[in-house]
Amino acid sequence: MKKYIFMVLGLGALTSLPSSAQAKLNVFACEPEWEALAKEIGGDLVDVKSATTAYQDVHHLRAKPSLLAAMRKADIVFCSGASLESGWLPILIKKAGSQDVQPETIGWVMASDYVEKLEIMLEGVDRSQGHIHPEGNPHVHLDPRNIEAIADVFVERLYMLDQENLKTYDANYKAFKSSWKEKLKEWHEKAAPLKGSKVVVYHNAWAYLFNWLEIDVVTTLEPKPGLPPTASHLEKVLQQIQGQNVKAILVAPYENKDAAEWLASKSGIKIIDLPFTVGGSEGASTLEGLFDETLNALLGAH
Amino acid sequence: MKMSKTLLFAASAAVLLNASPALAADDADLNALRAEIQAMRNAYEGKIDQLEKKVQTLETKQQNTSDKVSNIQPSSGADLTVPPATSKRRVNDNSFNPEIGVILQGKYKSFSERDGDIAGFAIGEEAERGEEGVGIGETELNFSANIDDKFRGSTTIALHEHHGETEVEIEEAYVETLSLPYGLHAKAGRFFSELGYLNSHHSHADDFADRPLTNRAFLNGNYGDDGVQISVIMPTEIYSEVGGGIYRGNDFPGGGAEGSNIGSWTAYGRVGGDIGDNTSWRLGLSTLQVNSAERSANEDTVTFNGDSGLYIADARLVYAPTGNNAEKELTLQAEYFHRDEDGTYEDTGAGTGAIDYNDGQSGWYAQSVYKFHPQWRVGARYSQLYAGDVPTGLVGSALDDTGHNPWAAAAMVDWTNSEFSRARIQFNREELAEGQKDNQIILQYVMSLGAHGAHAY
Repeated sequence: MKKYIFMVLGLGALTSLPSSAQAKLNVFACEPEWEALAKEIGGDLVDVKSATTAYQDVHHLRAKPSLLAAMRKADIVFCSGASLESGWLPILIKKAGSQDVQPETIGWVMASDYVEKLEIMLEGVDRSQGHIHPEGNPHVHLDPRNIEAIADVFVERLYMLDQENLKTYDANYKAFKSSWKEKLKEWHEKAAPLKGSKVVVYHNAWAYLFNWLEIDVVTTLEPKPGLPPTASHLEKVLQQIQGQNVKAILVAPYENKDAAEWLASKSGIKIIDLPFTVGGSEGASTLEGLFDETLNALLGAH
Repeated sequence: MKMSKTLLFAASAAVLLNASPALAADDADLNALRAEIQAMRNAYEGKIDQLEKKVQTLETKQQNTSDKVSNIQPSSGADLTVPPATSKRRVNDNSFNPEIGVILQGKYKSFSERDGDIAGFAIGEEAERGEEGVGIGETELNFSANIDDKFRGSTTIALHEHHGETEVEIEEAYVETLSLPYGLHAKAGRFFSELGYLNSHHSHADDFADRPLTNRAFLNGNYGDDGVQISVIMPTEIYSEVGGGIYRGNDFPGGGAEGSNIGSWTAYGRVGGDIGDNTSWRLGLSTLQVNSAERSANEDTVTFNGDSGLYIADARLVYAPTGNNAEKELTLQAEYFHRDEDGTYEDTGAGTGAIDYNDGQSGWYAQSVYKFHPQWRVGARYSQLYAGDVPTGLVGSALDDTGHNPWAAAAMVDWTNSEFSRARIQFNREELAEGQKDNQIILQYVMSLGAHGAHAY
């Protein structure tokens, strides 16, 4: 008889487990910027972990076992979308995603679906052009106005999935939004001198930042998107930038600096390390810090 | 009667235990809480209604999803917050239904020895070393698409030449579930089973131009059979998955499946995780059990009748500085195979007749691949086989290893222009039988056009 009691008690304990686990929403963030945004709005009520760090090229991640385990628990998948994660996210979703985190469900938040994308290519797209995203440039987080638009979407999903804590989410969201609006004004004023500056970048991951700040990209160190720099291409870049008054060569934490250093030594143009995303530098530990640091670094070169 | 009473007691005890935190709070607290909840409800009732409507809109989404999603896009206020204006049209290049992909391969092979038999093993067609010279190898056509919200379908048709004739093979043709609860996943049709590490991978994704001896001898390259496989990813902190399948039992090491019997089954378990940001790992155990196989091998000269049980242990470790695989990466991978066979072997080439056989064979391989530049990798691999003791009746047959343990060593360099193209040069030294010292050179390209799905870990 004792056996039965233990069995039933065990069953009772098991059924009570999920309710205590449900207290927190699990957010699977593909990139650190979305992890940071989820934390701003979800606060302590969400458990969020980014699949990647600022030091990893998101295009090339592997569908690691740890990510399968994380996806298994996810209530929300929060990513950039626009096929940025197409090398690994589909596998994780297919193998470990529940029915709540399938495309077009409430738990599916692809940031680039909710902003005006740049560089949408309607026709003439071919892989000879390199690793391009015909659905538009996916690196949408570097325009702070986009962050705000995506916060609007994300908080609505939290409302829907966890109505019990609606009040807290709403308070967090309002606080974030008002401080972000202040910051936007501050950044806008601060960045005024950058308008019309010319830069060289490694990969065209900065389109939204430069569109916001009205900075011109003269060329990229990659001969084609996704292809590493070659000696002959770098020679061409060196010719191309002659007399262009290029202010800086910009490099993200995950990008190889060899090519930038070569170009810097030949041209005398300085290299600026930008954090690119949250965690990309010491000061960029939050979204606000990310834009503060980015602007300071760019202004330093000016 | 007595039992049901106990059950009832136990059940109520469980309920009480679950409810105990609520009982602990006194009435005043409860009333205060209730009032607060009510106040909150009143304040947000309108909003909740609104949200519930949005939930419904989201749930009933069909083709024009993007338009509907944009309904919940917030209207921006001040000038600073107006998102930059560009075209609103959304283009998805992979939205073709179905996605179509083609893998093109070409090889040049050169061997220094005339024969490539593996001493002590009766092998299938795919385990042979192939023909010398220039050839297009295997051409794969893949069609796949989500069938609806619950199922995805995929088929891979392989075209290859064998002794001057083009053979068409349905490598895979399966449907799988997209969103089962509790981490469950089911696959039905013909597919490469989850067995060890390499078996479920298509050869075009391999790190070497050929498979290690173990996968050639024990699985004829890949074990892909008709059946059903179910797996579940457990809700644990580290990755853990268990699964298994039942199959017709027609593919090597099975063969001659007839009637309505289940010819073979598989089971596997794996764990995996990260060590910091730099390193990820996976360990697995799996088995493939074939009942009463009638398998012919060595170009139909050797027949095995009986039961065959294969056990595999696999390990893989991936290291990249800061976890950035795009720049540099080191992978270590190894698998150990053991097979028990109970039945009869007959080698018509050696005229042995059906001889009782009850013994085990084993083997292992270990490999390492180092990506030292975004486009360049080098790799090395060693594989070894151990045949079982040969019964007197089979002395001098293909099952007789004449005291030699077959081994092969490989070294390769490959260049990956983009994720869609790769070229490779590989050197092999194979000593697969007594007195055989085969030096091989393989040049290979693997290219993919059209849709190309992501590769697993």
